[in-house]
Amino acid sequence: MQEERAVKQRIHINFDKCTGCSICQLACSFDLFGGYNPRLARLTILNKNEKLYHMPVVCNQCEQAYCMTVCPAKAITRGDDGIVKIDPERCIGCGMCDKYCPIDMILMDPEKKKAHKCELCQGQPLCVEICPTGALELVQAKEIGS
Amino acid sequence: MIEAYTHTLLMIDLSRGAVDTLPVPDDYIREFIGGKGFGAKLLHDRLAPGTDPLSPDNLLTFMTGPLTATLAPAMRGCVVTKSPLTNTFLDSYFGGSFSPEIKYAGYDGIIITGKADKPVYLWIDNDDVEIRDASHIWGTDALDSNEAIKKEIGDDTIKIAGIGQAGENLVSYALICCEYNRQAGRGGAGAVMGSKNLKAVAVRGSKTVGVKDPKRFQDACQKAFKELEVSPDVDALREAGTASAVEFANEAGLLPHKNYKNGTFAKASKLADKGQKKHLWMGSNACMGCPIRCSKIGAVRTGKFKGIVTDIVEYESAGLMGSNLDISDVRAVAHLTKLCDRFGMDSMSTGSVIGFAMEACETGLIQSPEGIDLKFGNVEAAEYLIRAIADREPGLGELLAKGVKRAAEEIGGNAKEFAQHTKGLESPAWGPRGVSGMGLAYMTTDRGGCHQRGFPLAYELAGEWEDKTLDPLATEHKAKLVASLQNHSAGTDTLVKCDFGSFGIATETYAEMLSAATGKEVSAQDILDTGERIWSLTRMFNIAQGLDTSQDTLPKRFVSDPLPDGPAKGHRITKQDMETMLQDYYRIRGWDTQGVPTNETLSRLKLI
Repeated sequence: MQEERAVKQRIHINFDKCTGCSICQLACSFDLFGGYNPRLARLTILNKNEKLYHMPVVCNQCEQAYCMTVCPAKAITRGDDGIVKIDPERCIGCGMCDKYCPIDMILMDPEKKKAHKCELCQGQPLCVEICPTGALELVQAKEIGS
Repeated sequence: MIEAYTHTLLMIDLSRGAVDTLPVPDDYIREFIGGKGFGAKLLHDRLAPGTDPLSPDNLLTFMTGPLTATLAPAMRGCVVTKSPLTNTFLDSYFGGSFSPEIKYAGYDGIIITGKADKPVYLWIDNDDVEIRDASHIWGTDALDSNEAIKKEIGDDTIKIAGIGQAGENLVSYALICCEYNRQAGRGGAGAVMGSKNLKAVAVRGSKTVGVKDPKRFQDACQKAFKELEVSPDVDALREAGTASAVEFANEAGLLPHKNYKNGTFAKASKLADKGQKKHLWMGSNACMGCPIRCSKIGAVRTGKFKGIVTDIVEYESAGLMGSNLDISDVRAVAHLTKLCDRFGMDSMSTGSVIGFAMEACETGLIQSPEGIDLKFGNVEAAEYLIRAIADREPGLGELLAKGVKRAAEEIGGNAKEFAQHTKGLESPAWGPRGVSGMGLAYMTTDRGGCHQRGFPLAYELAGEWEDKTLDPLATEHKAKLVASLQNHSAGTDTLVKCDFGSFGIATETYAEMLSAATGKEVSAQDILDTGERIWSLTRMFNIAQGLDTSQDTLPKRFVSDPLPDGPAKGHRITKQDMETMLQDYYRIRGWDTQGVPTNETLSRLKLI
């Protein structure tokens, strides 16, 4: 089991406000790869029923983070800021974190063979900043669970 | 990749089953930028005069622009081909997420020629391209086939452009349904696809699209986002899409009623945002990369058609499938439009064709089919015709699948007098009798009577444009206004922009985003000049395909019958009005009195 460290911030989804525009994903992919492609973002948007619904999915920064538990290289840790991070130096690209994340929030870089996940952009997530509708919102510890 | 072009066109010859790539020639980028420009150049250079649009020789192209798939807001893609409805150049635009995927797969565009010997679909997985059997999905509608292909590939994130039964059956105004339920709607591109035995194009792209100068590009995008935020037009679209135009058009006397006999409809508000909010809408939908979210999505919850998911009934469908047919139940109009979407046929042309048939029946030129009362206001009759046309049933279905121009020729009598089209393209839902510049736009648009290559009526009703005072009914200044709007439209359709984005985004901002993305300095004037170049190029293409000045005209009803209602009651666009505006227009474009670009003009525009 994991050492107890509180989740201090995470992105809250107001899915009712999501229009499926993917501008969040464009910003995220550019930040990570220097080019645009929503497939290469660290968040996804699920659609249902002929696009009647859009459901953004973001990393939960889980208290019981399976990605962290299963990493054989101990590349995934939780920082003092509560964010679950991947150390690219330690990551061996085995894909175990990807396999066990229940909401597919691990992105495998096919070229560098490294895993990526949302690390909340050092507390100022680009996706939250650029979302035109307020569907993504950064919430702090005191609001989490309230 | 460090810039916005992939520099590669994917070429597929379905007759030979051959797949190839073509580097984008430098002069294409220099002189035509992308999108409409690339499509026009390809068609002009590669399609022989007189080519039957439904023959294997026709080119079906899906084109993107240098800003497609980037953070630049409100971008689209286009299908460019020769139209089976008009026998002219055709560019048809679509939002959604299909065009970005083409770029993520590594292509600036896809060129499809030939004809497969059995139904097929294309599976483009980045560099791997397969021509796959589609026999088992032939005969399914556009949305069901989308689902079936995703299931077969095993990935519901792939992006698909496909046709329904109307495209398979070569209905002249069949459309291409682009991921997801966004239409390359006008002019019959779906029939071209069907003629090639091509059910769908499925794409998965996992490459990135870059920009040359990221900091400058993102600053330019932020400027564009801000321009959208402060635009009242964009605000109105965000609130209610194009549905709010219904009451505007009704008040101005431009809303078609009963096959354009009238310009007002007493029950217009039922079809407008007010009626749609009550009966249909639940949330907002956006195309990829667009903060405008003009599409409202919802479901019919009550009445005979309850249960269907429906997009906004946008203005053109509300006008042509609603008021034009004297139908005011917006749930019924949503149902009829959704049928068109599923069968894959243009709801604008379909509405116009049905209105034409209802009037032809009213005047005794054709008879109601057995068990159907083919009269204005009858939803069941409209549905019957939609199904008959999509299936090309012998009789009315077969006749009306050809569009109003050819149907009127076959019916004979005075049917031509109420066949509402220019060059074969059914007229949009903006009756032009109260706005003469709009009439000129219909007369001169390269793909036939169309409202989307210049929308002068907004300026005509406002009463001013640049430093000029405009009288909506007069002919003065209209030619310059229309040519200027067309140049802007064609120029920015190289990027490929959405018209609604351009309501807010300045041409200078488009130029700044383009310059930052490509590393090549382009000014707003360069974009407008490119638009002017394209407009003479498509004219040359159309002339080579047999078009002449006699087709730069309006349907008889707009010319002979005074508008019976609304603020412009009593007005029509006379033959003299048409001739005055047309000759002004030709002169401004540098075309001769027969509408042929002069050698001097072609030389100035670097077209020879």
